[in-house]
Amino acid sequence: MNYRSFLIRLVTFLGGIYFFLEFVLPSELPGDIQFGKYHTEISRGFILVGAMALGLGIINLLLVHGSKIAFQKKGWPNSFALLFGLFLMMFVTTADWLGELRISRTLAEINVLREFSQLIRKDNLDQIVDHQGTAERNRLLQEALKEKLARITKRVDALEPGLRQEWERDRFVSYKELTSEMVQRVYLLNEGLAIDADMLKTQPETGQALDANLALEAAASELTQAYREVLRMNYQHSLQRRSYNLLFHGLFVALGSAMFSLLAFYIAAAAYRAFRVKSMESTLMMLAAFAVMLGQIPFGVWIWEGLTELRLWIMVTPNSAASRAIKIGAAIAGLVMAFRMWLSIESRSFAERGDK
Amino acid sequence: MSGIDNATAGVLLLIVLLIGPVVIYIRKAQKGGELYVRRIPGVDAIDEAAGRAAEMGRPVSFSTGLTAVSPVLYAVLGVLFYVSRQTARYKSRLLIPQYHPEVMAMAEDVARDGYRKQGQLGAFDQKNVIYLSDEQFAFAAGYMGLIQRENVATAFLFGYFAAESLILAEAGQQIGAMQVAASVSPEQVAFFICTCDYTLIGEELYASSAYLTREPVQLGSLYGQDRAKGVLFLLILIGVGIATINSIFPGLEVLNVGHFVRYELW
Repeated sequence: MNYRSFLIRLVTFLGGIYFFLEFVLPSELPGDIQFGKYHTEISRGFILVGAMALGLGIINLLLVHGSKIAFQKKGWPNSFALLFGLFLMMFVTTADWLGELRISRTLAEINVLREFSQLIRKDNLDQIVDHQGTAERNRLLQEALKEKLARITKRVDALEPGLRQEWERDRFVSYKELTSEMVQRVYLLNEGLAIDADMLKTQPETGQALDANLALEAAASELTQAYREVLRMNYQHSLQRRSYNLLFHGLFVALGSAMFSLLAFYIAAAAYRAFRVKSMESTLMMLAAFAVMLGQIPFGVWIWEGLTELRLWIMVTPNSAASRAIKIGAAIAGLVMAFRMWLSIESRSFAERGDK
Repeated sequence: MSGIDNATAGVLLLIVLLIGPVVIYIRKAQKGGELYVRRIPGVDAIDEAAGRAAEMGRPVSFSTGLTAVSPVLYAVLGVLFYVSRQTARYKSRLLIPQYHPEVMAMAEDVARDGYRKQGQLGAFDQKNVIYLSDEQFAFAAGYMGLIQRENVATAFLFGYFAAESLILAEAGQQIGAMQVAASVSPEQVAFFICTCDYTLIGEELYASSAYLTREPVQLGSLYGQDRAKGVLFLLILIGVGIATINSIFPGLEVLNVGHFVRYELW
């Protein structure tokens, strides 16, 4: 056995034993041992390996369809359409992802303020900073919040001219109403901050600095929420989001639905073939299917009330039994196959590498 | 056994009872013991299907459906290895449309091995392993287009399939391809039975690889898993018996199998 083969078998075995133990052992073992402590990280590692394989798919697509286009083989315009669609979708999705990332980063700036307000309270409770210091920190936090508030107000004002008509058309509500609600919220927030400032003046040395801090944290939460809405409102109407929506929801999802709808026609064709009376088994199947279908609809019940009972019996008794038999058989076979993979006794099974 | 995620004595005992016979029979097979496997018409049809494609001078397609890297895939790859050897032997073109990129890499490797084993490595064309899409219905659309354009004579549908199963099988039916399908999903088996010439049901998919290759490890494990099924059958009989006794004599309250399976070690 060469070192490469040994390494693969070792990693397979260790991976297998980890997931086996992770499944059977309780989350907390006696003696405070937490076996599944890093389970999320390990699972993410596996997802990453899978994601890397996606590159192989893209290389294959380029190879197969790229050569068709290069040598102008039969059906090359289809290949061109495929690669064009692939790159266009990649470009638009990346642009959309970058837009989302920008929003997240902007929101993270306000989240820092929320975390700061929590830290102020923690330091006060742990007696690292006294009430006076806490009040001073509260004041700095308030200044920062006001600055952010000014930015939001600016954004809200900038929203109106270009988007008004689209908003009204897409959402069937007056854009004025939405923006005035947003401005109202922002002003309420502003008033809240003013009240907090007054509180700070009147309570320099008391534990009420903590109350002021709580009020500020609530304001920071409210501000984050308001800011998120404004940013999203802006982003929903950006070129990259609209392009993404057109390609993904407008084309991709719609085409997927069209494919799915083909099933309705194919089921009818398949049912016609399956229910042809050719043998004893197919006759039985046709009769059973006929009883199940009739038992499902009011017309069947009108013909004979017992059809509903018969349908239930067919579905619950023979059908479930057969389905469970298949599932049990497949599950045991799957377990055995997994066991062979885990111990790498499967490796030589079909390939018999090195024989030729 | 849903809800049991701890090492209960019953679960450990069940694992031993299910795996034990497999280990015993693999050893027996490796020592050269004779193990008989009954005929599976669907598997016998693989040779017929490959031969038919060669006679007609049309390609063969082998799809692993939505199968991810899993035990099912390993069973499917065994069949792919055999099919690729047959197509190499008959000098037919073997198309392998793919859904998962990582499966694509493995399938390509196995198909290449099949050609190599048959001494026809030069005839293997990497471009016949075609990545379509990792989106279910885009894959189905790609598959339909591919087999209709290439006018395949034989289509193998082995692995895990979901709602697209009928779309794939019906596309093959429309061009008059001979189709052999195998799925572990009972919901999709019905669709395959309606549209394919031969269908392997449930565990027959796992058995097919052993049947085709006659490899000791696979034959032994096939025998072992049949004995493991016997264990489960026995447990079902005991469970039904105890439930019947409890319903006839309510005062007895005999503990059923589930209680012992759930008995916790700590």
